[in-house]
Amino acid sequence: MSFWRMPLDAEEQGVTVGEVHIIAYRCKGCRYCIEFCPNNVLAESEEFNEKGYHPPYAAKDGKCVNCNFCETICPEFAIFVTEGKPGNLQPADVLHDVKPGRRLQRKRRYGE
Amino acid sequence: MKKTEENDNAAAVNEEPRIGVYVCHCGLNIGGSVDCEAVALSAAKLDNVVIADHQLYTCSEPGQERIKQDIAEHGLNRIVVAACSPRMHEPTFRSCVQDAGLNKYMLEMANIREHCSWVHLHDKAAGTEKSKDLVRMAVARARYLEPQEEIDVPVIKKALVIGGGVAGIQAALDLADSGYEVVLVEKEPSIGGRMAQIDKTFPTMDCSICILAPKMAEVGRHPNITLMSLTEVTNIGGYIGNFSVTLRHKAKYVNEDCSACSDCMKACPQHAPNEFDVGLATRKAIYIPFAQAVPSQYVIDMDLCLNKNGVRVCEKCVEACERKCINFEDHDREETFDVGTIIVCTGVDVFDAAQIPQYQYKKAPNVITSLEFERLINAGGPTHGQLIRPSDHRIPKSVAFVQCVGSRSRKTNPYCSNVCCMNTIKDALLIKEHWPETEIKVFYIDIRAFGKGFEDLFQRSKMEGVQFIQGLPGEIVQRKNGNLRMIGELMMLHELYDIEVEMVILSVGLKPSIGSDVVRKYLTLSRTSGGFFMVAHPKLRPVDTATRGVFLAGCSEGPKDIKEAVTQASAAAARANIIMHRGMVTVEAITARVDESMCTGCGLCAKVCPYQAIQINDRKKAVVIDAACSGCGTCSAECKFDAITMRHFTDRQILAQIDAFTEFEPEKKILAFCCNWCSYAGADFAGISRMQYAPQVRIIRTMCSGRVAQNFIEHAFARGVGVVLLSGCHIGDCHYIDANTFAEKRYKRMRRLMKQNGLDNNRMQLVWVSAAEGQKFQEKINSLVEKLKTVTPEEIKNSMRFFSEREKQRKEKKQKTRAGK
Repeated sequence: MSFWRMPLDAEEQGVTVGEVHIIAYRCKGCRYCIEFCPNNVLAESEEFNEKGYHPPYAAKDGKCVNCNFCETICPEFAIFVTEGKPGNLQPADVLHDVKPGRRLQRKRRYGE
Repeated sequence: MKKTEENDNAAAVNEEPRIGVYVCHCGLNIGGSVDCEAVALSAAKLDNVVIADHQLYTCSEPGQERIKQDIAEHGLNRIVVAACSPRMHEPTFRSCVQDAGLNKYMLEMANIREHCSWVHLHDKAAGTEKSKDLVRMAVARARYLEPQEEIDVPVIKKALVIGGGVAGIQAALDLADSGYEVVLVEKEPSIGGRMAQIDKTFPTMDCSICILAPKMAEVGRHPNITLMSLTEVTNIGGYIGNFSVTLRHKAKYVNEDCSACSDCMKACPQHAPNEFDVGLATRKAIYIPFAQAVPSQYVIDMDLCLNKNGVRVCEKCVEACERKCINFEDHDREETFDVGTIIVCTGVDVFDAAQIPQYQYKKAPNVITSLEFERLINAGGPTHGQLIRPSDHRIPKSVAFVQCVGSRSRKTNPYCSNVCCMNTIKDALLIKEHWPETEIKVFYIDIRAFGKGFEDLFQRSKMEGVQFIQGLPGEIVQRKNGNLRMIGELMMLHELYDIEVEMVILSVGLKPSIGSDVVRKYLTLSRTSGGFFMVAHPKLRPVDTATRGVFLAGCSEGPKDIKEAVTQASAAAARANIIMHRGMVTVEAITARVDESMCTGCGLCAKVCPYQAIQINDRKKAVVIDAACSGCGTCSAECKFDAITMRHFTDRQILAQIDAFTEFEPEKKILAFCCNWCSYAGADFAGISRMQYAPQVRIIRTMCSGRVAQNFIEHAFARGVGVVLLSGCHIGDCHYIDANTFAEKRYKRMRRLMKQNGLDNNRMQLVWVSAAEGQKFQEKINSLVEKLKTVTPEEIKNSMRFFSEREKQRKEKKQKTRAGK
């Protein structure tokens, strides 16, 4: 079933938001956290750490739900998550096939 | 006792046929467009006919008495009744001849009502001629009728109910209370169906879930009911009394110990719109659809859960669960068991209003559907019973209802959805009850308040100040403040209106549930043009299907309100009860028989049998397993050595019908072979609907189109028939799994043969007609008559020569093989 409208109780729903902390110097670039993050929050950064690896960074900040899996899986104890301030439900969290309006479509197509 | 019966039967085969023909007037139904007396007179002249008479109503008590008397007086041993469709009265006359001491298979019916008088209402001469032909064909077949012994098979005293809506709940409870074991299958996590979503019911304004919840709970704790939620039917085989059902239980990831405490839900970080609230509220990845759900147990939506592909990432619910009910190792399971009867209650979905773009659904937030309204006004819903408009969460001061959205329109669904008018009236009254100042306008075409207490409710709504405006809006335009302009025409005054309201509720129609398609396929049910399941007879067998042992209830049969659904469910349960209470069913004696002396053990029959009911034994002879044989006759049609006899539809009987058909002017006629379940029923449907078509066609009934052997068609052409039509169920809908694919193969082979030998292969035609496609049958016949006009005498002569030659060769070859053996 697909839905098009934001649920009416969306504002009442507190969404758990995790804050990702990365201890960059410990990272050895194994990419486990990036691969296994269920919400694909993490990505490889361009910067180097002292060891010469690319540590991850939270590319989609705010999407982390504090599941702590990166913490569990990291062999170097280089990443951990703390619970942040609860956020609100965003359209992209619930609506998977929202079609943009006509004007927006045109804008995207012709790049006004 | 049995011995003497057998002796009697043996005697009946050998004795000279003494046939009685009874032509029925059926009041004016037949008598109005067929000269029944002339038909009876012509029948009297046929060989072996001892007596031929016409009666006003043959099916009446005096009519049947007359047949019984004649059997005793004139020593008749075969009866031909020319009346309505055998699908209608064959059982009546069979029991009549049985009472008079004949075997019930010694009856033959000529269908001169559905296939003649009703479709040729205005051409008495042609109708009479056709009736004479049909009677002559029936008499020809009757000469070769043989007595058959039916077998009784035991019935498993267990029922399957598919669908846990209110109809399924009622049917399951009724059967369980009568003491039978019932399996109730529901594809959603909870039973309850559409009724659980609705706030109040019309016309009594009862709280819907308050009256349904006790029934749901009863299902949950009834010792005779096994409730299987989140389960789908994947396969059904077998026959009445002995269906074999395969189900797939989808993984719930939560076991039965769950106390629905909601701790897990609070811990879950993943959100999605709640299907039960039509997307108006959120749920978590671990959820229970609604508070009163049965079984009262949480389930995990794996599409949403973070733990995909067996990687356990998030364990918040597991940690929160005190009773340790959550198990991520759970997986889908299949289960197979046997049941005796099946009740199908697969229910409905609502029409997708976005298909009508001018109503702005899914574009304007303040346009909602009636189902969404039910959730909004429901105290258990997302707004706790506050009717708010989605754009600014404010209670609207004016509301418009638009009727017939997705109903009664050629562009969407042509049928009336039956419940929307009363539902709107009820909704309007509910708004008035809570917010009396709200201005309510109902845009409609007709208000259909036909049931008990419905009109009172309609009048009450008018008294409360609900305005009814005749004329649906042509367009709804959204304004910047979220209000909506309704623009349309008043039907009576032919004036335009342009009315602004704050919220619009689209009264959406009903359409059959998507999931019902799987069930339909395995139970070979027919659908009406609207997509709802067809019953065996719209008036007299309103819950039976053409498949014995399968019954219908609720909206899968057609849109209906709760009361009707419950009534039908109880009726279906009662019908299933009849079968299971007796504990035995009689299976028709239409099964294949192998003549071992003719069998060469080639194994072709075993290969084509859709039921694997034929095996080749050690002595290289084919053997039929009677209990597995369903009687399609494909084996008999494929056998090149005439070793297989299809009982009650033998080669000799069908060839005799073809011979009788071709006695007079065969080049000007169409011979149609129709299968009993779909195309014969489709032709009946054309008759019942009085769809007029050309009178040149004569129909021969077989159980399946797969029974029609190529040599039947060749024989017909050899005898000079103008056009031959082969007709059956649609591919995939065959009553005998896939036997109709053999009909298609033979049809193609026949076309190729004719083309290769310079004959006009358009004289051989094939059409798939379902039981609801009377119109398709009518159109096909009319187009064939056009074809018939182009067939030249030269062409007929060529084909007669060619096919007679082939027949002769085949006969010689057969004799040679036999002599060789």
